Amino acid sequence: MTPAWTIPSAFAGALLVLLLPARMAGLSRVIALASAILGAVAAGSSCLARLGAPDAPVWSLDRPWIPAFGIRFHLAADGLSLALILLTGIVAIAGVLFSWNVEKRPRAFFAFFLTIIGGVYGVFLSRDGFLLFVFYEIVILPKYMLIAIWGSTRKEYGAMKLTMYSIGASALILVGLATAFAASGGTSFDLAHLAAASYPPALQAWAFPVLFLGFAVLAGMWPFHTWAPTGHVAAPTAASMLLAGVVMKLGAYGALCVAMPLFPQGFDQWRPVIAALAVIGILHGALTALSQKDLKFVIGYSSVSHMGFILLGLAAATHWGLRGAMLQMISHGIIAGLLFGIAGRVVYERTHTRDLAALKDFDLWKTLPGAALGFTLATAASMGLPGFSGFVAEVSVVIGLWQAWPWLVLAVALGIILTGAFSLRALHKAFFPARNATDPAPRALPALSWPEVSAIALLILVSAAIGIYPKPWVLLIDDGLRSPLFQSILTKP
Amino acid sequence: MTLPFFILFPLLGAVLLAFRRGAGAQGSGRFAMIWAAAALAWAGMLSTSAEVWSLPWIPDAGIELRFRMDGISFLFVVLTGLVTLIALAASSLSRKGDRAYFALILVLESALFGVFTARHFIPWFLCWEMTLIPAWLLIRLWGGAGASKAALRFFIMTLGGSAFMLVGFLALQLAVGTMDFDALGKLAAERVIAESLAKAFAFTGASGHTLLTLVALSVFLGLAVKLPVVPFHAWLPAAYAEAPTPVTMLLTGLLSKMGVYGLLRIFLPVFPEVLPSLAPLLSWLAVATVLLGAVAALAQTDLKRLLAYSSVNHLGYCALAVAAVAAVQTDRAAMSSAIAGTILQAFNHGIIASALFFGIGVLENRSRGQRGLNDFGGLRARTPVFCGLFGVAVFASLGLPGLSGFIGEFLIFNGTFALTPAAASVSVIGLLLTAVFLLRAIRKVFSGPLKPSLAKWADLSPAERGVFGVAILLIVVPGLWPQSLLHFANPGIVQLLDLLSPIP
Amino acid sequence: MQLLPEAVLVLTALVLLGVTVAVESRSGRAVSGGLTLSIASAGVLLALLALFRVPAEGGSGTPLVAADSLARWTKGVILSLGLLAVLLPPAKREIANPGEFHALMLFAMAGLLLAAGTNHLLLLFVSLELASLSLYLLAGFPRTARASEASLKYFLFGGVSAAFMLFGLSLLYGFSQSAMLPVIAAKLGAAPDSALAMAGLLMVLVGLGFKLAAAPFHYWAPDVYQGAPATAVALVAAASKVAGVVVLVRLLVVGFHAASGSAAWGGMAAGWSLWLAVLAAVSIVFGNILAIAQTSVRRLLAYSAVANSGYLLVGLCANGRSAAGAALFYVVVYGLATLGALAVTAAVEREAGNDRPESFAGLVRRSPWRAIALLVFLSSLAGIPPLAGFFGKFALFSAALAESAESGAAGLVWLVGLAAVMSAVSLYYYLMILKQAFVMEASPSGEIQTHGISPAHALAVGLPAVALVVLGLVPSLLLDPITSALGELLAAR
Repeated sequence: MTPAWTIPSAFAGALLVLLLPARMAGLSRVIALASAILGAVAAGSSCLARLGAPDAPVWSLDRPWIPAFGIRFHLAADGLSLALILLTGIVAIAGVLFSWNVEKRPRAFFAFFLTIIGGVYGVFLSRDGFLLFVFYEIVILPKYMLIAIWGSTRKEYGAMKLTMYSIGASALILVGLATAFAASGGTSFDLAHLAAASYPPALQAWAFPVLFLGFAVLAGMWPFHTWAPTGHVAAPTAASMLLAGVVMKLGAYGALCVAMPLFPQGFDQWRPVIAALAVIGILHGALTALSQKDLKFVIGYSSVSHMGFILLGLAAATHWGLRGAMLQMISHGIIAGLLFGIAGRVVYERTHTRDLAALKDFDLWKTLPGAALGFTLATAASMGLPGFSGFVAEVSVVIGLWQAWPWLVLAVALGIILTGAFSLRALHKAFFPARNATDPAPRALPALSWPEVSAIALLILVSAAIGIYPKPWVLLIDDGLRSPLFQSILTKP
Repeated sequence: MTLPFFILFPLLGAVLLAFRRGAGAQGSGRFAMIWAAAALAWAGMLSTSAEVWSLPWIPDAGIELRFRMDGISFLFVVLTGLVTLIALAASSLSRKGDRAYFALILVLESALFGVFTARHFIPWFLCWEMTLIPAWLLIRLWGGAGASKAALRFFIMTLGGSAFMLVGFLALQLAVGTMDFDALGKLAAERVIAESLAKAFAFTGASGHTLLTLVALSVFLGLAVKLPVVPFHAWLPAAYAEAPTPVTMLLTGLLSKMGVYGLLRIFLPVFPEVLPSLAPLLSWLAVATVLLGAVAALAQTDLKRLLAYSSVNHLGYCALAVAAVAAVQTDRAAMSSAIAGTILQAFNHGIIASALFFGIGVLENRSRGQRGLNDFGGLRARTPVFCGLFGVAVFASLGLPGLSGFIGEFLIFNGTFALTPAAASVSVIGLLLTAVFLLRAIRKVFSGPLKPSLAKWADLSPAERGVFGVAILLIVVPGLWPQSLLHFANPGIVQLLDLLSPIP
Repeated sequence: MQLLPEAVLVLTALVLLGVTVAVESRSGRAVSGGLTLSIASAGVLLALLALFRVPAEGGSGTPLVAADSLARWTKGVILSLGLLAVLLPPAKREIANPGEFHALMLFAMAGLLLAAGTNHLLLLFVSLELASLSLYLLAGFPRTARASEASLKYFLFGGVSAAFMLFGLSLLYGFSQSAMLPVIAAKLGAAPDSALAMAGLLMVLVGLGFKLAAAPFHYWAPDVYQGAPATAVALVAAASKVAGVVVLVRLLVVGFHAASGSAAWGGMAAGWSLWLAVLAAVSIVFGNILAIAQTSVRRLLAYSAVANSGYLLVGLCANGRSAAGAALFYVVVYGLATLGALAVTAAVEREAGNDRPESFAGLVRRSPWRAIALLVFLSSLAGIPPLAGFFGKFALFSAALAESAESGAAGLVWLVGLAAVMSAVSLYYYLMILKQAFVMEASPSGEIQTHGISPAHALAVGLPAVALVVLGLVPSLLLDPITSALGELLAAR
């Protein structure tokens, strides 16, 4: 199975789901699950294949499409893409499982969900700037629909804010890509070609921030991140998982594989600014999370903080830094999925509240021990405790940072401590509240269903697997970083 | 090859417990004890094997999970097994805890096994951090009224310290390309680490010595919070007091030993180049720890807090010894004495503290939670066996010759007086103060008129006698025959000395 | 022979009028709308067939008519769009005096066809006037107050702009002693700084700006879009715009190439390129900003038309083959999308009585196909992939940058950046409508009933939707003929 199976499996799934007659609407979740599994299996087998034959040429599919503009339908799967599509596959499966009980308009829900998955696969596999942009934009409307129709807190506002930020950022990407196209001779949109062209430094000085900002907004870079907590909280669980877990990574991936290689001198000039904004994002996100009253908002802000690590790794521009950024992309994708899944699906469905003070009455570790265990492990992972994926990522980013700006490491250490603080606060308030003997006994809650258990188990096992044995992932990432695209960026090995 | 299985064995027990839905508190307690006993037995069998095991992570950066068992590790591992078993027994006897509680203790045991056998920073750190959440939960969920706050402070301070430790080690990874303790030790012996740091961070313009000092301090910070060393001890009194007594046993008996072990295994071997310049700071911090621990204990009326501060004091001696070794590296005999003393003090204090807290647990059980100094009196009449056994433990803690507590302190002072006489002299005050508050405690609890509320008290039950008895045995035997412990520690001590002051 | 399609149209119109008179005088009742519609459609189809019979090259016999591929292509497009416009009404009995109505439509189309196929300025003016007069009358057909006001405004504005245009044409004639574009181009090549020619051109551009509804000449548009019958608006929005753009291409890119000046940032030079850039910027900003506040969907579409004119002008001011080609592609795609949107709006108006966005509420439930078609149309207008509108915008901006890159590194980036960002903003108001259609539930008061739709209307909705999807995936289908037609044109100059 080649990676090419991932994109059609998602879109075909979406189409099939839409075509189901109304009385068979319940089948939509089965089809969605099958589609997600198919995509994940394709991704997984491709990863294994690549690990088994690291010196073979990278899989690619290259067909002419719009010759007038030099646009080709060019997909390729190097280590970076493979790792990210595997992440997407896993999060997709978990997302479908967490949405097993969607009652309202399930066909439309899963159709939008699968469309987003398909678009994400497409971005990670594209090697043509236009093609990448097409996939990047395809997810915008389904994102809006998922939040506006199935969301909760202030869903219309959240949906619109998220969508407008997304499309505004895309406008910047469009300008950046078109500029690169124009300045490289206007013959081709192929990313390798665009990256190989040399642009005058004056052009790069403004073109890089425009292009990078377009991607960085989607990656939640401070101060353009405010759409993220609002949007993710408003979104239904599966959408939050997708959005925070995978779609935000589109921004980081674009920054790494498009913005930085295209305008390396511009990147070099703007690196300190990116690093500064990333650090502010880490600290600001953590501090804000510390004061939130709504559990989902804590997770939302924690996502902003974690994405800051990714951007910091990118800004460090050393091999360790980029490796750390990629590892954090994968790790946070899983962990965000887990946190939103448990908070949104398992807890909110049963208690109908996410308010930390209100959850005290439920004494969740007694009434939902499975959820408490899951969330505890997820919190451990989110804090970067060793044994889970976040730790490996953090270690790599810090080493990369030591090479670039040692004094920023202090800020990172502070960020780690703050992350521990807010994570623990949320964990203890929500799941292990301090209760007096006089408090009324909590009422029993329905136990976890098998889809919920499977999803939680899947995500925890993956995070632990990465945390205990990161070697295959590191190999994939290093394979991707060997590409000539990154040679001009890396300042140090 | 069996090492990873050994380390994971308690964790497996915890997982099994998690799935045994029907098991009640008693059943879970029994299961956990049997499992811990098996682990201890296995630990005993590992003694002669010097095993190694590794799992690569990021091969081209030399990052791997590597574990090895040697003499010093063996002692700490056995200590872990013993204290865990005692704590589990205490929990069962006091009817404390449920399935989750016992599972968490087993998880903690696994983490500790890992810490004491890790040979590379990454597995060390992994297991170090793995103790955080179980300890936090144990304190918080089964603790007293102020447990929330105490648990949180414990967690945050430990996390904070370890963040710095992590960051420091990653700088080393960058500079010399390895975080393996043995490899780092060899490099340190060749005295090349400072130069490598200077080279790697050339763009900062700082000297190698300065950089290495910064790294050493950051590593020390992590260890200092655990030990604890004043002023990073702020989490300790509340945590020890609020935690359920068996958990306090674990905290004082084992978790603090992580700090001691770290000092011996990491701090001394890796940073000999800067140890002399750091030594004064370390000495004074150690002295402060010793004195503050003792003085504060003197002022306590809560028995648990009293013992908590006493622990701070006793572990301060370990810090003192390490500081002394850091200061002067030419007197092998003195260094050997100091280090041996540290190891023995660690081991013995673990047992003694467990015994003491077990005693407090007995008091708490019978008095429905009271543990103030003034709540008891004249118990000797009612519970002579208890008084006797508890008295032995107290005297061991005092450092009475013939009991295990003596040798550790003796060796430490023996070495320290030769290396840093000033610090040693001041610390003697600690010994005196310890005697004062411990004797006072005994007097208040056991002598004097019998308090009316205690009139109906029964003496130790057979089970309690059994547990207490075993602990006392473990106190008496090494006291009379220190070689039983030193036999295991000696090869490791020699190795450490070779790194610190290589024989030309 | 060249004018066969126009002749067919005129004949059909006359036949239609005759039939109307005959039927009405015989039976006393009004002629049926269905009959006139059928005759009109048949006429347009015949004209299309006739177009294929017209020989491709060779002299036309008269210098008035240009016999190039661009003319053929444009006529084909106008006829197709006109056919769809004719088929548009949701029900048969909507218009009083359908005979005259359809006849006027045919006349308007004939005028547009003539305008598209000539290089002679006077014929250009006459044919544009033919079209305009027909359109003024069409706008006022419903005899409502609103329609009458719209028609009057249209007429007054149109009259003034016609005057400007005529004056400008006379100046041009004065400059070159000829009304033929190629001759003017040659004369201009010899004397590029002629103030007379530039003045004339400026006035002509004012006239054409009105036709295109570019700001600040757009004031007629909102009232006309709102008051006129949907069919007429469709013709205005789609066919008339195509003709307008083609005229501009001939005029500027061919005729006045030498006087283009430059709108590049940092290298601005007086010339029509600069004027168009200013016009574009004003249109884009005005159109998008004013659209946000609209409560009538038709008026919203009018302001959208203004904004889209702006985008088109961006392409034209780049003064290159690729950009002009992209502009032509875009105007067709835009025409299809607006036509389709108007068709759906007309149907909703009929059901709900008004065209407020709230009337669309729950559209996806009561007529799912129409809702999906609306999604296609509005997404295409907003520039969401994989629809044709996205590619159109992308191509427009990329080509504009590429072709202005010669005159300076930054070139038209300022304009393209503005256009891209404003285009992102436009998603906001399109989403407002889509939100009603997909997210909101219909109000339970039941004032919205679903009527049946005629097959003609279904075609008018379905064909553009399918076309937009297909062209989005394979834009070369449309782009290649444009490129070759332009190539031929530019080679000849």
